[in-house]
Amino acid sequence: MNVNDPRLQEALDGERDPATLPEGLREAYARLTDAADLLREPPAVSVADRVMTEIRREAPVHVVSPAGVARRLVGWFNRPRAVTLRLRPVWTLAIAAALAAVVFLPFEVPPTPGADEGVAQFVGHFPGARSVEVVGSFNDWRRGALALRDEDNDGIWHGAVVLPAGQHEYMFVVDGERWVADPLAGRYVDDGFGAGRQNALLIVR
Amino acid sequence: MKLLVAFMIVAAPLAAQSPRARLEGRVPAAALPGIDSLIEQAAVESLPTEPLVQKALEGGAKGIPVDRLVNGVRHGLVQLRDARAIVSRATPARVALDGDVAAVAAALARGLDPRLVERLLAGAPPPGEAPGPVLHAAADLVAHGFPADSAADLLQTAQQEGLRGARLLDVAVAASHELQREGGRTPTEALARVRAMMPNVPVATPPHPRAVTRRAGPGS
Repeated sequence: MNVNDPRLQEALDGERDPATLPEGLREAYARLTDAADLLREPPAVSVADRVMTEIRREAPVHVVSPAGVARRLVGWFNRPRAVTLRLRPVWTLAIAAALAAVVFLPFEVPPTPGADEGVAQFVGHFPGARSVEVVGSFNDWRRGALALRDEDNDGIWHGAVVLPAGQHEYMFVVDGERWVADPLAGRYVDDGFGAGRQNALLIVR
Repeated sequence: MKLLVAFMIVAAPLAAQSPRARLEGRVPAAALPGIDSLIEQAAVESLPTEPLVQKALEGGAKGIPVDRLVNGVRHGLVQLRDARAIVSRATPARVALDGDVAAVAAALARGLDPRLVERLLAGAPPPGEAPGPVLHAAADLVAHGFPADSAADLLQTAQQEGLRGARLLDVAVAASHELQREGGRTPTEALARVRAMMPNVPVATPPHPRAVTRRAGPGS
């Protein structure tokens, strides 16, 4: 049978009596006309109606065990996920700078004085010094109790300490051996040991 | 902050120790008998002993030779005696407090004239007010070249205007600022300017340490 047989086409076009067709073509004619009839009929339910019906249908109730929930949670956490970050370079640099500042810059909590106390700030310019400490009457002239710092190596050493209100004599000790009266103290007092050396005098208010 | 905690941990127990215990190991052993004797003498005379202990500790820390170290403590004892005499003369009706005697001794150590100290003590300070601030203010003024009597006059005026305690130090700072002002003022003019400000003398604020340090030369 050849579906392209002109006689079959003629019968389908209504130009020939299908009964005159040979048997093989008659069967083909019958199948083709059946298919055409089927296509002509409108569907019982539209596609949209069928989709909405599926959506509205209640989900089947599954019995969920605790182990199953745990397994699903573990799976959710373990499953690799693609994360897309969209950053502007300027913001990226700003965030990086802020993080670097938090990590690398020394944040010093200023000491808090109580009643009848004050914060004494010591600053000295000692370029090239390896260590600078403050030794005075407030720490019984004991070495090592109050070391100054120079984090940026600019030769400016500084530190702060809470002291009782009143007068305190002190000296800087540079590199563990050189005693220097604070040149910025503004007040000095003879140390009384006969060599004309002076202590710096600090008045905490 | 860590330094503060360390200071408190170290300093508080030390202050509670006896003078001898605080000095052992901190001053040369050869100096200890002489220093002990001076401290005992101060105690016998009801003078404060802490300034002497501090002087001995200072000398030990600085590595001062034994003879000069003991002499330094002895000099401290003499100053305490002088101080108590001044306090007693200036305020005969009051018991000389250790703090007052120590403050006067410190003023004498700063080079303040004993007569000026006595005048300031006998002046306006109300009972119970520590003499330290007015004495230091006077010493500051004298150190800046103001005549001693003019300095005392100014401070007594300040006290009469109601300025007390550390505010008297502000008076001295204001006077030295007036003296250093551009154009040049004589000490008398500077004191007159400060007197005109009273009682609203500006509170002295320390300049930013970094700015000061960068202006100043190396501290060595």
